[in-house]
Amino acid sequence: MDSPSSQESVGFDYLFKLLLIGDSGVGKSSLLLSFTSDSFQDLSPTIGVDFKVKYADIGGKKLKLAIWDTAGQERFRTLTSSYYRGAQGIIMVYDVTRRETFTNLSDIWAKEIDLYSTNQDCIKMLVGNKVDKESERVVMKKEGINFAREYGCLFIECSAKTRLNVQQCFEELVLKILDTPSLLAEGSKVLKKNIFKQKPPQPDTSSSSCC
Amino acid sequence: MSEEVDAYYPVKPECQADIPKIRFKARVGKTLSARRWNAAISQDGHLDIAGVLRRIQRGGIHPSIKGAVWEFLLGCFDPNSTVQERNEIRERRRKQYATWKAECQKMVPVIGSGKLITAAIVTDDGQPTEDLSANSDSQDSNIAIANNDTVLDKKVTQWKLILHQIGLDVVRTDRALVFYEHEVNQAKLWDVLAIYAWVDKDIGYVQGMSDICSPMVILLENEADAFWCFEHAMRRLRENFRCTRSSMGVQSQLNILSQIIKVVDPKLHQHLEDLDGGEYLFAFRMLMVLFRREFSFVDALYLWEVMWAMEYNPNLFALYELSHDSSAATCKSDKLTIDNKLLKQYGKFERTNVKTGWTDQKSALAVFLVASVLETKNKLLLNEAKGLDDVVKVLSLLSLCACDIYAEHEHLHFPKFEA
Repeated sequence: MDSPSSQESVGFDYLFKLLLIGDSGVGKSSLLLSFTSDSFQDLSPTIGVDFKVKYADIGGKKLKLAIWDTAGQERFRTLTSSYYRGAQGIIMVYDVTRRETFTNLSDIWAKEIDLYSTNQDCIKMLVGNKVDKESERVVMKKEGINFAREYGCLFIECSAKTRLNVQQCFEELVLKILDTPSLLAEGSKVLKKNIFKQKPPQPDTSSSSCC
Repeated sequence: MSEEVDAYYPVKPECQADIPKIRFKARVGKTLSARRWNAAISQDGHLDIAGVLRRIQRGGIHPSIKGAVWEFLLGCFDPNSTVQERNEIRERRRKQYATWKAECQKMVPVIGSGKLITAAIVTDDGQPTEDLSANSDSQDSNIAIANNDTVLDKKVTQWKLILHQIGLDVVRTDRALVFYEHEVNQAKLWDVLAIYAWVDKDIGYVQGMSDICSPMVILLENEADAFWCFEHAMRRLRENFRCTRSSMGVQSQLNILSQIIKVVDPKLHQHLEDLDGGEYLFAFRMLMVLFRREFSFVDALYLWEVMWAMEYNPNLFALYELSHDSSAATCKSDKLTIDNKLLKQYGKFERTNVKTGWTDQKSALAVFLVASVLETKNKLLLNEAKGLDDVVKVLSLLSLCACDIYAEHEHLHFPKFEA
């Protein structure tokens, strides 16, 4: 087997943590797969959280993107909520052919972000997926634009299946992160320390969690 | 006997490239064959479980008899029962299932219709949604129930709210298999999960359960039999699916995993902790759906039956039948009274537990299996994993085949480990 850290991982300027959230079956995992490996296939439901890394050159910078993909079912929220911590970008996905996945963004998902995101400046992006099913569309583009304006986030419509706008979706988000000094600082700072260590410091320095 | 086992679970041609390689092969003299199975059942129906377990632990079960053998492994039947007794139990269970199904059908007529739903049929407060395309008659019954007591009303609403979630998952479960190209088979899986959610209201439905249920629906032609097989599997697994506001059930198994690694490989544990992986959440899915996503369909089934054989306890049936509360599971028969002959009716793993008096239900074999996977990948994890992303990557490329795992855990002396 190849070593997991191949040479591509050696040089990168920034590491950003991104998070995908949204209702079950809106295509979060498909969107991620479409972005990371340019392919589309029928995927099984995500159990808990899944994870992918993508190396990309965006805005003239070499980037490592650590993208966490979450299960949509409400039951998993206790688990998924801990993944908001320290994310520089959050992608909220809905399915343009299912209205409730759109209404749940304001009813549920936006509230989750407020509750769990530790990052004031964190960039949010609204994504309407499955535009390849134009004939089944029930959520109009205008509605997405309005929601994004009201909520103060980026917006794009895409199709994980045809890959329309998939690259753009992640690029726009990352460009905005690169534009935000505090997030930029986080992205480079973690390089020196442990990249995945983002737990708040424990009151007790010893790590005796059990026994 | 060495015929292609995957022919039993055909994969859609366009999906061939996407599924993990199949490693399981039925092997003469090792795999439990149909002939061996039939020979293990005496005239009156008594099953030589010790002999059967020995075979399964060596080479799994031939696909032609998997369903029937699973029913015993999971404790649906007592190996000491007669054919007559088993038929009676089966009949009783089928009737029970039919009653529950009729109950559910009354509330949601799509159940049992050969179709399924993927869109919500009620809103959070129990009102029917606008889109009633698949839900024509349910309004009346909805009103009827609303007049009843409110506790039941809440339960009904809760259950109805989960039905489209089940549907959304069913249409995404084992999509590579030809079996699920047929809507009626998808509907069978949906029915079983929907009725289970109605019966086991504590757990209801949690994502991952469709992965556990799907093989039963394929292996057992009769829907009620598939339900009961699944229901028995869930008796082992349901605590993993229990969700509270602060945690998920499977996390207690992850805690044990963490303790095991801390003892057997402190260096690895420290390394994982340094990567913020001390909670072992990267193993979450392995335990929730018992390696279904790491292996091909055929190999996962093989792994399951080997695990269940190793965990087999001859009192399983009695424990399940006599008491439905979980405390019964801890009052295993006194280890002193078990003689050698009886001991052979236990699976290898359970036998050691009996000898040492180990009764912690949470230390299922699956936990040790994950531990042994981590151990096999020890060098890669220590030397190459610089972040949790690498850990996930290493573990997603499980090159370990199911039969290796069997060999693997032989040298992990489970019950010697003291938490």
